[in-house]
Amino acid sequence: MLLLKNVLIVCPSSKHHNKKRDVLIKNGLIEKIRTKIDAPKAKVVKIAGAVLSPGWLDVGAQIGDPGFEHREDIHSVAAAAAAGGFTGLAVYPNSNPVVQSKSEVLYLKNNTKEGIIDFYPIGAVSKNCEGTDITEMYDMHHTGAVAFSDGSHPVQSNGLMMRALDYAKGFEGLILNRPQDKSIAAKGQLHEGAVSTALGMRGIPSLAEEMMVQRDINLVEYTDSKLHLANISCAGAVGMIQKAKAKGLKVSASTAVMNLINTDEDVLGFDSNYKVLPPLREKSDQKELIKGLKNGSIDFINSNHTPLEGEKKNLEFPYADFGAIGLQTTFAILNTHLRKHFELEELINFLAIKPREVLHIPVPEIEEGKEANLTLFHPTEKWQLEEADILSKSKNSPYIGDTFTGKVLGIINKGKSNLY
Amino acid sequence: MASTELSTKHVLGIKYLTVDDINLIFETAENFKEVINRPIKKVPSLRDVTVANLFFENSTRTKLSFELAEKRLSADVVNFSASSSSLKKGETLLDTVNNILSMKVDMVVIRHPAPGAPAYLAKHIDANIINAGDGTHEHPTQALLDAFSMREKLGDLKNKKIAIFGDILHSRVALSNIFCLQKLGAEVAVCGPPTLIPKHINKLGVKVMYDVRTALEWCDVANILRIQLERQEIKYFPSLREYSQYFGINKALLNSLDTKVVIMHPGPINRGVEITSDVADSDQSIILQQVENGVAIRMAILYLLAAKRDK
Repeated sequence: MLLLKNVLIVCPSSKHHNKKRDVLIKNGLIEKIRTKIDAPKAKVVKIAGAVLSPGWLDVGAQIGDPGFEHREDIHSVAAAAAAGGFTGLAVYPNSNPVVQSKSEVLYLKNNTKEGIIDFYPIGAVSKNCEGTDITEMYDMHHTGAVAFSDGSHPVQSNGLMMRALDYAKGFEGLILNRPQDKSIAAKGQLHEGAVSTALGMRGIPSLAEEMMVQRDINLVEYTDSKLHLANISCAGAVGMIQKAKAKGLKVSASTAVMNLINTDEDVLGFDSNYKVLPPLREKSDQKELIKGLKNGSIDFINSNHTPLEGEKKNLEFPYADFGAIGLQTTFAILNTHLRKHFELEELINFLAIKPREVLHIPVPEIEEGKEANLTLFHPTEKWQLEEADILSKSKNSPYIGDTFTGKVLGIINKGKSNLY
Repeated sequence: MASTELSTKHVLGIKYLTVDDINLIFETAENFKEVINRPIKKVPSLRDVTVANLFFENSTRTKLSFELAEKRLSADVVNFSASSSSLKKGETLLDTVNNILSMKVDMVVIRHPAPGAPAYLAKHIDANIINAGDGTHEHPTQALLDAFSMREKLGDLKNKKIAIFGDILHSRVALSNIFCLQKLGAEVAVCGPPTLIPKHINKLGVKVMYDVRTALEWCDVANILRIQLERQEIKYFPSLREYSQYFGINKALLNSLDTKVVIMHPGPINRGVEITSDVADSDQSIILQQVENGVAIRMAILYLLAAKRDK
């Protein structure tokens, strides 16, 4: 039994929304929500200023397991997610072997059953994510895959994308693509613009993303299927998605937290922790991404969690791999830097509600009798990120040493709690 | 009052130098130019200073020029080149350099194919670092010797017009020249086939021209770059023949202009491709003066960084 004393509930669908309540949790369920509860046997959590929301869900983390356990594994990614306030992870299939049949889906489901985090496998669209032949999506769907994507490998072939959208329609499946045309992005190292020119490095033009977004939208219209465009980074793409939604197409979109607060200018010092995909673009792009989140063109925000060992990051910039970890800092970054644009309620919408709606996963409710799937956090507490605090096996974060406002206090899920 | 000390302990790129730094390097180089024209060319300024020349990419003249500059300042010099390196055995740059530094090296001159490699080293090691060319990023000593040579010929570069011709996309020389000349108040244009000009170069404040005659009529100095065939992984123009016909600079073209444009080239020249022999060898060309000034400029940088080290 756990008793949360005097927490502010932020859950727009709940009748307790924006109210301070005592919440009693017993056997994995929300037993009681009252102005005042006395439960002498319960473990009491009483932190002034604490906020309680439905548990958060991240879409598109790389977990390294199986195949890259030196970067991350099921346990380390679960610890990082919990510390970041996430109770659920929808994870990309870019492991080795790739998640491309029911046995890999089951590996993930079975090995994560006991933990506090819900794992939702995203199956591959193509065999080995090679972009040639479609996978056994029906089988994976029936075993528990929530969507299909080649993850860090955007689907280059128009024909394959068309067949995948068509095929998944049979079971109302969702295809997820991270748009980037590789023939245009070529060997680009960062966003193409004044900064890439001044640094003498090949750029990745916004065009590489925009062309694939337009292609994908055309294919959705043609196949009448369902698509999520993940990690949108540039202004042009936001406009295209807005138009597609206005037309009634079944398109949703997300953006990564780093793309909302960092720009290509952060690369000027050649710090390879800012080398990420999609690349950090310009202030003008960020403005449109924020506008897109406001007007609903972009549905939610993800961590773009990409753990990489030091040997792949601590190198000359062009030789370093793309990616940064993010699960543990996503909320803190948003709360520190974007509260001038978004209310707390909107952030919870982007972190907990919209990702589940897009993936057709039930959204946790904060009502008596419901399962307790909750995130507890403090929106004004300040803290500093030290390398030793990072629970991921990989430490490739550009934010080490930064001070944040807003700290996760813990999560409650699957009858367990993880409180800091 | 002019400064007597550099603002930085490394020379990683023109981007990171102040105008005072550049002028100080020029003044110091003028003195060294006088020194190297004496019968006894050697001075003891860098005695007991050990310099490592680390060339992870081929170079003839830059390496020779640095080595001469170091030896004329009485430095102890060690050389390392990629062909004889342990890089092929999988060692990282940082490990290689740390190994060399364990042998007590004070300064590192580095040429490397990766943009930012010298800046990356500067973050991790203690020695003074001089960038001798990092991929398609910067080649600061070349830009300084180019500007120094232009100054000798034209005086103050304020409001002078300099056009850079050829493969701008693959050129660290172009980028460093642009930064350096702009800091000295000159106007800069680039000219070449559109596929060899970076799309956003205008954001650096340079003019873009696609016609060689127009550019030559506009400029006081024509800095003609080498066509870097070895650095192109994609075909950006169809043939050398077409390139030399439409973008090559020949004597007939120069003679048809109203003004006498100063001709420069960082070398090595592809004679008959970007520049004809009669232009390279003409009295308008200062190509060989550039090479001579290269030694003086590099002596100045080594000397000023060593002075900084003593403090």
